[in-house]
Amino acid sequence: MTIELNQLMPIPLKDRLQQRSSDVWNTSLVFHQGEFIKIKAPSGTGKTTLVHIIYKLRHDYDGRVLFDNIVTAGLQENALAEIRQQKISIVFQDLRLFSNLTGWENIELKRVLQTPFYTTDIIDDMANTLGVSHILQQKAGLCSYGEQQRIAIIRALIQPFSWLIMDEPFSHLDKANTKKAAALIETECRKRNAGFIITDLDDDVNFIYTKEYIL
Amino acid sequence: MDGLDILLKKIIRSGTGRKRFFMAVTGLSVAMLLILAAVQIQANYNDLLHSKSNQDSIANFLVLNKIINDRNLGATALTDNDINDLKKQVFVESVGLLTPSRFKASIQSASERFPFFTDIAFESVPNDFIDVTSKDWKWDENARFVPIIAPNMFLDFYNFQFSFSQNLPQLTHEVVKMIVFKINMYGPTGLVSFNGRVVGFSDRISSLLVPQEFMNFGNTQFGKNQDIKPSRVIIRTKDPGNPALVNYLKEKGMTTDADKTRFSRYRQVVDIVVNISWITGAVMLVFALLIFTLFIQLTIASCKEEIFLLITLGASPKQLQRFLMRQFFPVNILIISASLLIIAGLQYYIYNSLVKQNISVDPFPSYLTLLTAVGVLIIIWQVNRVSVRKYISLPGKN
Repeated sequence: MTIELNQLMPIPLKDRLQQRSSDVWNTSLVFHQGEFIKIKAPSGTGKTTLVHIIYKLRHDYDGRVLFDNIVTAGLQENALAEIRQQKISIVFQDLRLFSNLTGWENIELKRVLQTPFYTTDIIDDMANTLGVSHILQQKAGLCSYGEQQRIAIIRALIQPFSWLIMDEPFSHLDKANTKKAAALIETECRKRNAGFIITDLDDDVNFIYTKEYIL
Repeated sequence: MDGLDILLKKIIRSGTGRKRFFMAVTGLSVAMLLILAAVQIQANYNDLLHSKSNQDSIANFLVLNKIINDRNLGATALTDNDINDLKKQVFVESVGLLTPSRFKASIQSASERFPFFTDIAFESVPNDFIDVTSKDWKWDENARFVPIIAPNMFLDFYNFQFSFSQNLPQLTHEVVKMIVFKINMYGPTGLVSFNGRVVGFSDRISSLLVPQEFMNFGNTQFGKNQDIKPSRVIIRTKDPGNPALVNYLKEKGMTTDADKTRFSRYRQVVDIVVNISWITGAVMLVFALLIFTLFIQLTIASCKEEIFLLITLGASPKQLQRFLMRQFFPVNILIISASLLIIAGLQYYIYNSLVKQNISVDPFPSYLTLLTAVGVLIIIWQVNRVSVRKYISLPGKN
């Protein structure tokens, strides 16, 4: 699946963004499946806004987002759900776990939302890799941010996808854990021949990126 | 239940609004009982009214004649206009002319063992209006005897008054049907006799009835005035208590058996009971549905954020609707099945108690009751579906 951004401009940030140059806003970009895209964004440049626009959580923008040449603004709810189950997976900056479900249940929910891509033992494997096996049966609300962030990453990786969108996915992780998580993400993307779009505040060497942009 | 449902059940708790839920369930149960009972009562009532086996117990045949007063003495015949006008009335299903005998006749016993003699007159009516089914009810000139239908009243009069005063034995229907007697007819050519026998008893028309063929034969052969108009007609009507019918008779100076129109008052009471029952049921159903809808709305509203997050993560509205319908709808099937079972039990009880009184109703609930149950279930399903769909899409649109 290709993702195309066409003259995007979030309406609430219009005045501010028009006064500065950007690699993303108000231009046209095409991301091909399998590409690793890094978008570096200083604070306040609309990083989360961009992620939400691509993931179709926000509609207050000018321009268009296209998935395989289909304008996302016109997608119906059920078609959008289908895309979120099969094509696009996400790690939110604010994680968005169900706090009263356990870590395991949070991941399992995303696994069974569509025809499962993986069996349940993969959850344990991934949790093991990221060092969160011990808190899987704990309510997500009681876990630390670092633990929640790793649960959120596993949740995103348990489903089928062509694109993985990540909004500062390592913000609560130390270097060692970031490395492990990045490796897991890369493996999972390669397995699916999928690409990712990652946003972060600074430069990093977690991945070898195909393209890098400054927002 | 699959894995997704178990997780969704943990996320979307329907714990809030339990009270409303029980109110809705109670209301729905009572409403269902009332509606199904109304349909069943109506079905039983139609059964009693229209089925062949019960038809005779209902007063839907009326014999009409003009009220005799000082001014119309000797002129009580009904004109063609009167009859045609009657046929046009909506409450009249069919009209039959009662033909009186226009010849002098008498009956007397055939044997000396049981002597009797009396002058007599007959009437005849089209066969459709006769409620006695007897294979002997036919006559032609070669017939061995003339069949007669006698009013029950006549036999009662004999058994409970005449027999005592004359010191005669009381007679049963069966005995009377075995007695063969002579019918004498006096014409211009003198006396002609036939054998006669009672073949049945009826409450419908209070005269001795003979087959139309015999009446035509008698009136042509022995009658004096050939063109006398009928004075009485019998009508078949759905509802003898119809105020329009009663008013019409009053207006035209006609009268009928007051007892029959009085009996119909009971039928109107049944109507009122049925109407009250189903209207109350329908109103309760509407309120119960309203409470149920509020319950659905409240449950969804209390899980607004969770539903929004589910949709954000890729749960389709369809999936959530299916899940919520599985939460809300089964209780309705339970309520309706339970109501149907109760109605079936009651119906069986009614059947058992009425069968002792020779009134037959179906031992099982009518198919109309089942259809109503299914119909209401479809309505509830639709209302649930619409409200789930409506409230689901609200948090998703944030």
